[in-house]
Amino acid sequence: MGREANWNFLSSLVHKAIRVLEKKDVSHAEAFFTSTETTEVAIRNSEILTENKVDDSGVGFRVVVAGNKVGFACTNTLSEKAVLDAGEKAFAIARVSSEVPNFALPEASKPPKVNGLFDSGVAGISVKEGVDLARRAIKAAEDFDKRVIAKDGRVLFVSGWRGIVNTLGVDFEEQETKATIYLGGSGEQDGEVTGSCYDSALSRTVHLEPEKVGKSVGEMVIDLFKPESLKGFQGTVIFGPEAVSYQLFVALVDALKGENVAAERSAWTRKLGEIVASPNLTVTDNAVLERGFASRSFDDEGCSSQNTVLMRKGKLESFLHDATSANTLKKGNTGNASRFPSGFDMVRAIVGDGYRAKPEIYPSNLIIQPGNKTKAELLSEISKGVLIESMSGFVQPGSGMISTQLSRAFFIENGEIKHPIKDGMISGIAFDWFKRISGVGKDTKQFVNAVVPSIRVEGVKVVGT
Amino acid sequence: MEISPATPVFSCSSEVLFALAVKFTYVNTFTLLLYVTVELIPIFESLERCLQTKLVSQADLVQLRGQRRVMTTCTVKNGVVEDFSNVSLTGLSVRVFVDSKSWGFSSTNLLDFESVEQTLENALRLAKTSSKLKRQKVALEPVKEVTANVSVPVKKPVQNLSSEDMVEIPFAAYKGAQEAGRRVADVKATYISVEDDKYFLSSEGSRIHQNTTRAMLFVNVIAKSNSLICPAQENLGHTGGLELFDRTSPYSLGKAAGKKAVELLKARAPPSGKFRVVIHPTLCATMLHEAIGHPLEADLAMAGGGFGSHIGELVSSKLITIYDDGHVPGGLGYFAYDDEGVECEHSVLIENGVLKSFLHDRTSAAVAGVSPTGNAHAWDYSVEPLIRQTNIGIKAGDFSLGEMIVDVKEGLFLEGTFGGQADANADFTFGFQSARWIRHGRLAEELRGANVAGNAIEVFKNIDAVGKVAVLRPGACGKYQFAVQGRVVPAIRCEIMVGGMGD
Repeated sequence: MGREANWNFLSSLVHKAIRVLEKKDVSHAEAFFTSTETTEVAIRNSEILTENKVDDSGVGFRVVVAGNKVGFACTNTLSEKAVLDAGEKAFAIARVSSEVPNFALPEASKPPKVNGLFDSGVAGISVKEGVDLARRAIKAAEDFDKRVIAKDGRVLFVSGWRGIVNTLGVDFEEQETKATIYLGGSGEQDGEVTGSCYDSALSRTVHLEPEKVGKSVGEMVIDLFKPESLKGFQGTVIFGPEAVSYQLFVALVDALKGENVAAERSAWTRKLGEIVASPNLTVTDNAVLERGFASRSFDDEGCSSQNTVLMRKGKLESFLHDATSANTLKKGNTGNASRFPSGFDMVRAIVGDGYRAKPEIYPSNLIIQPGNKTKAELLSEISKGVLIESMSGFVQPGSGMISTQLSRAFFIENGEIKHPIKDGMISGIAFDWFKRISGVGKDTKQFVNAVVPSIRVEGVKVVGT
Repeated sequence: MEISPATPVFSCSSEVLFALAVKFTYVNTFTLLLYVTVELIPIFESLERCLQTKLVSQADLVQLRGQRRVMTTCTVKNGVVEDFSNVSLTGLSVRVFVDSKSWGFSSTNLLDFESVEQTLENALRLAKTSSKLKRQKVALEPVKEVTANVSVPVKKPVQNLSSEDMVEIPFAAYKGAQEAGRRVADVKATYISVEDDKYFLSSEGSRIHQNTTRAMLFVNVIAKSNSLICPAQENLGHTGGLELFDRTSPYSLGKAAGKKAVELLKARAPPSGKFRVVIHPTLCATMLHEAIGHPLEADLAMAGGGFGSHIGELVSSKLITIYDDGHVPGGLGYFAYDDEGVECEHSVLIENGVLKSFLHDRTSAAVAGVSPTGNAHAWDYSVEPLIRQTNIGIKAGDFSLGEMIVDVKEGLFLEGTFGGQADANADFTFGFQSARWIRHGRLAEELRGANVAGNAIEVFKNIDAVGKVAVLRPGACGKYQFAVQGRVVPAIRCEIMVGGMGD
């Protein structure tokens, strides 16, 4: 069976299962289904390590019975029996479950047209093209300087369909493609080995610019030679886009999730309309961004996509919602139900994402509005500080505590980069840092769920030896 | 960060080595079919038929894997069943090795013979694509042909649990946590069972069936007082059934997490800087996995840096002996055979501080000129095996916890884990849940959690005491793909950088 025929077959089974469930004693029923084809070329130690092709499809049912009791079951076996059984299992589980207060599913709406989500070039890509992109990235990194080693990386093409049906009239399907190249490198010189440096390019089309990624990794690696330790101090820190897209993003999203606000776990509970951050910070969630890597015309429970202003010049204007959190807090649904959230969650890591899991609240493209300064301009105004391009370590949920190791960081004195830093950490509360943002760069970079620039923060505790 | 070996970890409060006899049966192929679950007979037959096709002759080696996995999860959040799911997955994969140098891999959830054959064709095409580009020929060491049926015995099968009784497990943990008082602001408890039926067939003649059940319980608590938020977590997990709760009940696990979170509200923030620390096994598990485990994985080691070329050299304190053992009974990383059909043996990695071996799959072993160690593992049928730890352990030493603390004039006692990360150069960071000051050889006031960081090679060189009781803890890792693992760890004493916010 061809891929499209396969998708139509799955879709017909899913619609049949929903019709069967409708006849039972259910309040609502929903099916989320996907079919994807993934081609991956893995890079390891300057060479192509392996090529993979993974075909996957399946459906997950959420069934709600009287008293808002919810059950979930999924299958990847594409037979009528298996799909109907999964619906039946979700129904059986719902009956022994307990009430989820304010549970809601989206009602039928007309999703906007979002351009640039599908590219036939990615859908029809050959592994040869993937290998070529990988080789070009390796070559660009290693040609940049002979001390650079392309250690690991991958080229990834995903093509597929996503569909959602519920008993309130939602019935949408969307086809999309994604192309990604990641490259990690390090350098070796006279026995000194640098830490790993990563760069990536994400696109909806095959145009990934592998040379740019490779060269960028090469530059990062060379900058890391001869690091020096430093004494601890309190000072100005510039977080580069990579650091912003990881730890600062995690803290921001944790406080913006509607369910955390409803449960009073968010640091910004009851702060809607208040100033919670520096006037330099404006944040939106834009799911309708043309060609956006996480754009979509409807979210993963079928709410139409939109562009939501979350924070305007430091003033909190909205949280991120799915149907249930919007219903709980009596706010509009922002269309942020996601079955593909990034970040680590133990249960999701075990079970998997997509059709294998219920949706949770997560940004689409979280955008921090860029400022008007280059990184050099942000740097030139610092008397003593640190430029942190990347750091490693988790953010504590709820509190926003960040206590991280500096992976790719540089000491700044009198507006100039002095040396890379060996053995340093920073620690503090992200929500305090958001209040002390003294500058935002114009060097915006696209990550999986974030489009963010560099951010300069005053008064950050730097831990040295 | 997505491709760094980000490695969150969980650990449990049980300090008992589970005694579990693992049932090994050596059988012929025909008998093996008798063990195959009814639903899987079509896969098994398709895979067997696939090995008879002409296409197979185009490869030096063909490895086929079929799997049926059933997962049940039940999450109770603040007294409400927030998630109750049944996940049923079936699929197969084909991995081929061509021209003595190139691997190709393809997987599908479609089980008919036509799809299996298409998957084999895909794998061959992928392997051949980059074959010409590869400089190095790899002479894989032949693997002994194995026909085996392995079933990890389960005393209390998870399948016997009614849905109502299953809800009671996380609910009891929630109740235990909630009893810690009104400052408990948020409790989430999740029970998960994972039942795996796995088949491995290879063109070298191996036919292996492995049947494994794993059960886990995670409890996450957040305590709150004004604007102060303190999280705590406790976890249990093993390879086996519901006997997991015989020694530690879900209620007592929840109670421990709740009590810890509330206690920490009164504690001060930890200091920052370099300290002499005593690391409790709950945290040592994370440190072992992150700091030493990852750099000992041959794929990361061969990427340069870390332990790269130091076999036979002193790389750690002489008090340290480290091994990896897939056969630790009850270990969450229990595996009889890996996903290349190699037995998961006990491998000594560091002996009295001297680097003896890395963790290998067949390819890295061939490149290094050694035998594979049974460390090629895939999270499920859909992904290619990677070099992973199974149950990694530090051999117990001579010190009691009291003896380790008494020698410290000023330092910290670190406990509980919030997971960590490491890179190929052995730079690591991981979080602790709570700490105590050590002043003049005595435990003093309690402190909240933060992260520690360092370079494994430097930190492991300065370990000057190893505890005399090694305990089995459950763990997990997210290096490119997920894995469940075990750790067998004592307490240790060393110097480390702490990134606290206090003075």
